[in-house]
Amino acid sequence: MSTRKTVEQINEKIKKGEAVVVTAEEISKMAMSMSPSEIVDTVDIVTTATFGPMCSSGAFVNFGHYSPPIRMEEITLNDVPVSGGLAAVDTYIGATSESHFDHQYGGAHVIEDLIAGKDIKIKARAKGTDCYPNKEVETIINKDSVNEFYLYNPRNAYQNYGVAVNTKHKTIYTYMGTLLPNIGNATYSTSGELSPLLNDPSFRTIGIGTRIFLGGTQGYVSWYGTQFNTMKPKNDFGIPTSNAGTIAVIGDAKEMSTEYIKAAYFEKYGVSIFIGIGIPIPILDEDIAKACMIRNEQIETQIIDYSEPDKPSLGVANYEQLRSGSIEINGKKVKTAPMSSLMKARKIAAELKSWIDRGEFYITQPVELFPKESTVKNLKQR
Amino acid sequence: MMKKKYILRFSPEIVKKPLVSDLVRKFDVSVNILNADISSGRAGMLVVELEGTEEALERSVEDLLNDGVKCSPHVKALVFRQEECVACGSCTAVCFSGALQMNPESWELEFDQDSCIVCGLCVEACPLRLFTITREMES
Repeated sequence: MSTRKTVEQINEKIKKGEAVVVTAEEISKMAMSMSPSEIVDTVDIVTTATFGPMCSSGAFVNFGHYSPPIRMEEITLNDVPVSGGLAAVDTYIGATSESHFDHQYGGAHVIEDLIAGKDIKIKARAKGTDCYPNKEVETIINKDSVNEFYLYNPRNAYQNYGVAVNTKHKTIYTYMGTLLPNIGNATYSTSGELSPLLNDPSFRTIGIGTRIFLGGTQGYVSWYGTQFNTMKPKNDFGIPTSNAGTIAVIGDAKEMSTEYIKAAYFEKYGVSIFIGIGIPIPILDEDIAKACMIRNEQIETQIIDYSEPDKPSLGVANYEQLRSGSIEINGKKVKTAPMSSLMKARKIAAELKSWIDRGEFYITQPVELFPKESTVKNLKQR
Repeated sequence: MMKKKYILRFSPEIVKKPLVSDLVRKFDVSVNILNADISSGRAGMLVVELEGTEEALERSVEDLLNDGVKCSPHVKALVFRQEECVACGSCTAVCFSGALQMNPESWELEFDQDSCIVCGLCVEACPLRLFTITREMES
């Protein structure tokens, strides 16, 4: 397929205020009456988005040096343990790390509180060295007092995700929510036809360096995400029917908003964090257009039994069915519920579109594409 | 005609009595059981919504009290800090009364206090912990 437009040409249009931007939901509607070729002629950029719990997230912070200096080895922020193995005054706040005293408060809440501008109590201990003699520091930080505070999330925006159910006789509490016994409900967690990686299933435009919407500000795809898997089976529409690709993302948390970064606590599971991500897809050719024209009924995903350790599949459902409020599993009508916010995802897609319309956001060509072949290994006992 | 919600608590001896059908027969009220925790040999609890004339409801309550049933108005209510809601939908997974539903167009969360039976499942299901239940008052 020959390229009919380039990223440079589209950026030129953005500059002149002439770029045509639609959301991934709008293009899915347009797909009912237009061909891919007509879409390429009409549309320049499709905005995609998601807002869901993404456990593999966190933030780097540099506190600045203290006097007398300390080489921090054990650090807590509001009693939440954070990484102490990063030079003297750098740390990484893992979103799922939990407070020593309140298991419902964790790294995600520290990140949200920092973004909100709140003061955070830092406690640090060290053995003391000749050049860093101090052994203990206890003080207050906030986002204005620290040097850098940026989000770095190793695995976000899963390309598709299984539906969760529970076949056992007792309620189970999971990161997919409260799963009622005897397949009493079913939860799902992607924004379907609006979801970023479902609109570029073979990663033609999303790659390392792609500029994105992250938590309310501009961020970047920094790498392919951990557990990146290109080998999952795909359906007739080129959509992997279970969790496949992922992205690692980076962005300045000082510029982010708690409207798009929200700490969460899942009952009897632990702390997680809602992350808002929006990704623009430039419509360069018919293949890219075709991928963005995907509709909810064409996006299928596995129904997974979370009550079994190896999580077997009980069947397949598509997103049109999931959004209808119920699906059929083993001949039984089961209530469905989302775990990620479509309302927020729509807001992000619209916000990203308005940034581009106003000439505040330019699209990028990936610096490097993601690996074409990648599988996921398990941890083995040796 | 009016509707009122009550919590009925009774001792193991009364568990055997056909309380609900008695009310229906004697006072022509309709009884909607919203929540129940009953097993033989144990004290029982019923949350019911009674519908009938004002007089019928009063006489029903009197009759229940005479039978040794503790009968208190159901004043437990779900409090929802909706302004902080991100509309993820997690609570709708466990809400079967229809009180919490996703609007199929806007995908905002809709809360209908009147449909709520205060089962409390959403309190744990909400990842932002936006639900609380007010304390029950015993009469």
